[in-house]
Amino acid sequence: MFIQDFMLMSFEKPIQILVAEDDEDDKLLILKAFERTLPKEKVTCVEDGEALLKYLKRVAPYNDLLKYPRPDIILLDLNMPRVGGKEALAEIKRCEDLKSIPVIIFTTSSNLDDIQITYKMGSSSFITKPGSFEELVRVTEEIENYWSKTVLLPD
Amino acid sequence: MAKKEKPSIRQVKIYSIVTLILIVVGSAISYWTAGRIEFYTNAVMHTSEVLQRTNELYSSILERETNIRGYVITGNEQFLTNYRQSKINADVLLTQLQNLTLDNGVQQNNIEELRGLINARVRTFEATIAYFKEHGNLEGFLDPSKASNALNGYSMIKNVVLRINDVENNLFQERNQNLINNINALPFIVGLISLFSITIGLVTFFSIYQYNKAQIVADNDRIIFQEKLKDQINLLDESNKELEQFAYIASHDLQEPLRKITSFSDLLKEQYADKLEGDGELYLNRITAASIRMRRLITDLLEYSRAGKIENEQIKEVKLSKIISEMLEDVEVAIQDKSAKITLGNLPKVYGAETEYRQVFQNLISNSIKFSKPDTDPEISITAEEAGLDLVKKFPTLTREKKYHLIKVSDNGIGFNKEYADRIFSIFQRLHGKKDYEGTGIGLSITRKIIEKNGGVIFAESNPSEGATFNILLPFITT
Repeated sequence: MFIQDFMLMSFEKPIQILVAEDDEDDKLLILKAFERTLPKEKVTCVEDGEALLKYLKRVAPYNDLLKYPRPDIILLDLNMPRVGGKEALAEIKRCEDLKSIPVIIFTTSSNLDDIQITYKMGSSSFITKPGSFEELVRVTEEIENYWSKTVLLPD
Repeated sequence: MAKKEKPSIRQVKIYSIVTLILIVVGSAISYWTAGRIEFYTNAVMHTSEVLQRTNELYSSILERETNIRGYVITGNEQFLTNYRQSKINADVLLTQLQNLTLDNGVQQNNIEELRGLINARVRTFEATIAYFKEHGNLEGFLDPSKASNALNGYSMIKNVVLRINDVENNLFQERNQNLINNINALPFIVGLISLFSITIGLVTFFSIYQYNKAQIVADNDRIIFQEKLKDQINLLDESNKELEQFAYIASHDLQEPLRKITSFSDLLKEQYADKLEGDGELYLNRITAASIRMRRLITDLLEYSRAGKIENEQIKEVKLSKIISEMLEDVEVAIQDKSAKITLGNLPKVYGAETEYRQVFQNLISNSIKFSKPDTDPEISITAEEAGLDLVKKFPTLTREKKYHLIKVSDNGIGFNKEYADRIFSIFQRLHGKKDYEGTGIGLSITRKIIEKNGGVIFAESNPSEGATFNILLPFITT
């Protein structure tokens, strides 16, 4: 753990990830998968689109910047109660100070229409949730690797 | 109303034809009667002319007699001139009479006799005139025998004239009666025929009315029936769509919890495998294996529900030989691996989507390779011919008027029992244990779905250990 942290620290500042996921099981699995490569506090979770928008706009209870830091990337589920993934995506891309945050669609769907629409709306990736934990770990590693090491993100 | 006989179109036709015939016959009879009336009118006029001429003739003879007498008594030349004129008159009348009665032999004889008698009288007149001119009187010319001759001559002329008149009068009577008969019969005949025609016409009209009424009822029934049928078809289409939607959604939503089962059992195995005791690890492995199989079933079900749902723009003429050759190139390694020998005959073009036909033949070939005999290299042949009408007739979903290709995919594999020939096309139906042959049994059901969507049928023939033949019937491309 120490070595891992040290290595990350020594190269790059680890990226901050915000996950919008209503399903408790999926949330747990995603957190567990990210734990392999990232410190716990680097991944935060909200349970639906409404909470996501409140978080990003720093509306209570998300006004504590230390506890709820601005994310570098967002993992967004499509099927969520209240404000769904697509509505949240549209809102994010409408807000001037939010639209630069890359949004990765992370969903069970592999529907061609969903893929088409979300890319058109400004999402950065479309990932279908993998079938096994092993696969999930591979995907989270790739996400973390790509967005923290391969690409440069806006400030 | 319930038992009332519905007039057939045939009855209406017969009524119409009878009416038409009656009208024609009626017209013919009327025309014929009119002809008869004209004929008798002419005949009657003819008779009265003959009578008139006869009377004129008789008068002219009397006139001559009078003039002769006047002349011999007074010696006045004027009587002689009058006599000469009336003589010419009589000749003209005789000729006219003769011409008028050309058709009547009896009258011709009578007229001839009359002409003879008149000529005899004229000869006497001439002799009398000649004698008178010579002697200035008739003394010595007249004697009792001559007087009786003159009397006889007159009565004979009178008799003949009367006879002619009698004959003509009789004819006149007869013709007049006929004329009257015909004139009387005409309105009766015309009336009768008109009545008949009107009756039949009314019957026809009524029949047509009844027929139309029945027709309207039948049309309404048919429209109602058609609408019902349409509703039923719509309902069926809807329920089919719903079913497919259901399969899609079910399989899609089923994947969610399954993914979690797999993921958490992965996690459990990874982090706590060493802490599991006894059969714990075995059970965990069983859970994983069952989850994997279930995933396979679900993805297959998804694939099945999607099969045949190709967009219309992707449907075109498909060259089967090209599609199959390309597909075989793609799976060349697998074919070589199994030492399979695949031969292609002359294959037709059919309508459909390339991806679908590719899937069909890939399923059939992989099926044949999968169920090959363990000790024999698989040999598969794909051939095509035109399907016989007897074969087409066996399938109610096919159209008899259409032509069909019969495409055969035959192998030398393990085959199967005849009684399973239908079952192998049902979804998730398998003839062998999972241990012996992997797979969920979805391939052939997808194949059948695609073939049926393209207006065809597929059926299998086989006997155990004698290889299997899959027969596909697909319609010819019509221009």
